[in-house]
Amino acid sequence: MMRTIEILLVIIIIISAFIIASFYAILPIPRRVSPINLRRLALTTLQTLDVDYDLSEIVFMAENDTAWGQLQIALSACLPPNVVYNLTVYELQSGSSGELYLPIKSISNAESLGIGSDAASYLVASSNVTFRVIPEKIGEHGGGGTLYILNCSDARGWWITGYTAHTLAEDLYNLLSPYFQTTIMIQNTTQLAQLLDERKITDSPCENVANAVIINTFGEAVPIPTIYCQGYERESEGYEPHYDADAEMTINYTRYCYTLGQKTRQFNWTWVSIAGYPFYYVSNLEAFANETNTYGIYGMQKVYRGGVNAFLQGLNNMQPYQYDNTKITDSVGDVQLSSQVLDLCNYYGIYPSPYQTSTRAIQKSKLNIYPNLTVGLLIFNEKDGCYPGALYNHMNGTRIEGSLLALGLTRTPDIRLTALGLLSYYKPRLYASEYTASNATRLVVLQLGLVGGV
Amino acid sequence: MAGSTIDHLISVTVFLGALMLFISLFNQTIQTAILYQRHRVLATKCSDLLDNMLLNPGIPIDWGRSNVTPTGFGLQDPEFTQYKLSPFSLMRLQSAVGTLVYYNRTEQFYSNITVGFGNFLLVPFNEAINYSLASHLLGINGTYGFQLTITPIITVSIEQVQLKNPLILNVTVTGVGFPLANAHVSYCLLTVSKGDRQYPAYTIEHGSNFTDAKGSIILTFSNVEQEVSYVFIVYARTAGLMGMGYYEHVTYDRSYIIPFIDDFAEGRILIAHSYDVHNMGDTAEVNYNATLVILTEDFTLRQILIENSTGSLNYGQGKPYAYVTIPKNMRNNPGIFIITYRKSEQETGVVMMPWGISSLAFPVVFGDDPSNSEWVATDLRQVIVNGIAYQAKLALWSLEGYQVIG
Repeated sequence: MMRTIEILLVIIIIISAFIIASFYAILPIPRRVSPINLRRLALTTLQTLDVDYDLSEIVFMAENDTAWGQLQIALSACLPPNVVYNLTVYELQSGSSGELYLPIKSISNAESLGIGSDAASYLVASSNVTFRVIPEKIGEHGGGGTLYILNCSDARGWWITGYTAHTLAEDLYNLLSPYFQTTIMIQNTTQLAQLLDERKITDSPCENVANAVIINTFGEAVPIPTIYCQGYERESEGYEPHYDADAEMTINYTRYCYTLGQKTRQFNWTWVSIAGYPFYYVSNLEAFANETNTYGIYGMQKVYRGGVNAFLQGLNNMQPYQYDNTKITDSVGDVQLSSQVLDLCNYYGIYPSPYQTSTRAIQKSKLNIYPNLTVGLLIFNEKDGCYPGALYNHMNGTRIEGSLLALGLTRTPDIRLTALGLLSYYKPRLYASEYTASNATRLVVLQLGLVGGV
Repeated sequence: MAGSTIDHLISVTVFLGALMLFISLFNQTIQTAILYQRHRVLATKCSDLLDNMLLNPGIPIDWGRSNVTPTGFGLQDPEFTQYKLSPFSLMRLQSAVGTLVYYNRTEQFYSNITVGFGNFLLVPFNEAINYSLASHLLGINGTYGFQLTITPIITVSIEQVQLKNPLILNVTVTGVGFPLANAHVSYCLLTVSKGDRQYPAYTIEHGSNFTDAKGSIILTFSNVEQEVSYVFIVYARTAGLMGMGYYEHVTYDRSYIIPFIDDFAEGRILIAHSYDVHNMGDTAEVNYNATLVILTEDFTLRQILIENSTGSLNYGQGKPYAYVTIPKNMRNNPGIFIITYRKSEQETGVVMMPWGISSLAFPVVFGDDPSNSEWVATDLRQVIVNGIAYQAKLALWSLEGYQVIG
């Protein structure tokens, strides 16, 4: 009998344990078990309302403006019927003790937000505020920092259809001059000759010929100073005729391209070809006044396929110079910006189309004869064994001695790609200026709650 | 001794019985708790998966604009950040609700997101992304089922009040059951005319106005004196929200033109005679005139000229269809492909096809049917598709079952 009583006592204890456990083990209501992510919904609602900066505009309007009514209508229209909201706008005031958030306006469609709610905040700036960004100057912490843009008035361009070299030069100046210590337009081939002799163009103490970047805005043509042409004093560095059976004509000025390559190596320049087949023509309106590029453009002579080979020989210090007309490019069609460059579009705020057409992509295999040439930056992804756009470094051990940036794209050139390529290579930092404007920032907090159901 | 044994037997029997009862009771509570936990996990997974779909463009990032099969699933517009979706990626999803259309001249099935007469979106079934592939790419094949629904937030409904002399239309703009008062409305009326030769011509009239307190506006077109075929396209906008709607009236619908997307990358559209597709209606030849309009930044529609935009179609054997190609520089812009057709001077009509899902604010339903699932978690996001406000809803359920032994 005693055992039975003990068992009954045990049963009573277990029942008590069960009742107590059940009392405390309250399971949540289904809405809490499988909730809608109200925080995300609130954030995406604010982003949607601000897609054309309407929200940013409205929250800075007077409290009695009808636009607030429109905002309330829009909120009610875009949220599901079982979602209630409270939108509060705070003004940010900076003081010595930190930032103060002052509520200035609140709109809601319910007295309370139910048993559970969540909120998202969104910082908006007044359209009256201008943010300033100060870029780091290329060469600030080392040599160089000078950008030369070829804007020679006595030369003509090719493969830049729709533009002139001068308009391209202006655009490049606007895009890139904030990032360089000094930017100099080379206004004629005489100044170019001066540069090739390592003589400064201006009196600016910031100008450094060594380690400079030189952008050729003439497309497939490159300006040639008169003194490098046939019959002038530096003829031996520019003129060297070779009959080319493929071109069915005599090619005279590949030697000049070789000289450019040598100078690029010697002064550690970065030579930039903005579009097409690099060094395909040379141009000088005075020396070639009666010559055409075979397409009716006067002031030019064809260098043909040997131009870029000559430049690369010079860049790689291959001696003696040998005429080589091997075609080193291929047409690869649609190409895409490399992920590295694509990522930097947002950083520098330059947004060219990520898809381009390349008809003059340099074949990898054709670069094997230049063992010291390495790819410093892929601007476009490699395609079919070709580089549609890349920056090549000539290495002397671990030291860079001259670079070539070649964009083998079809016309019409997008100058933003050149700018983006250079910035992606040098990666100058951007410093946002301190933001001190008052009453220019407001914080919008959207709190959402669920009503109805369980 | 016997009494003690009986006492033992009774007490042990009662104890075991009580123990079984309490184990069962506790088990019920534990099972319910486990189920709640699993449901909670499902809700978290649903939110994560929805963000995963909406915040990455997929691999390659331009798969919506090409014919390639993606190796990563994502719907974000590659040219934007945040919750902005690609109208072209959405266009390549196989519709879960539309009945497949078989066109025997190309011997292909087409995924169908047609919204009423004259508003077609027929995508080659083989090139559209199916649910199975998307599940694989999302890494949930066999573990979770899902249905993604993308619906426009703003509804623009249009009612024809008077057909002619003048044409009067009533436009009503509503949100989710809430009228949009004082919304800015910009519209475009395209009326079909007989044209100089056998091909139909059209005239386009633009305008803008604001809705009243009930979200409505009456628009009158006094230059429409006779009954004509027309299409009326409206964009409505208020405080950042934008929606669109359209209305068509045709004087002849027994034979008409049906556009099919033929090649995403090339922007090629196949246009066929309705009799060849449905084997019903009239077999009469129709002449057509196609045009593309795109939405500009100031919310007006701009007309884009396309090559080989006119022609004649009849039913028949072989290849009784024609192709129209969207200009290369316009393929990345969503637009509305409008085809006017004409059988005779009085018998005309017009059909439309969006190039990019948002152009006609088409809804998208992609995935499996959740109706037989034991527990479905849902989550919502507000998204933008080429400026049009949409709501993205993901329904997610487990395929592994929730049955707990007990």
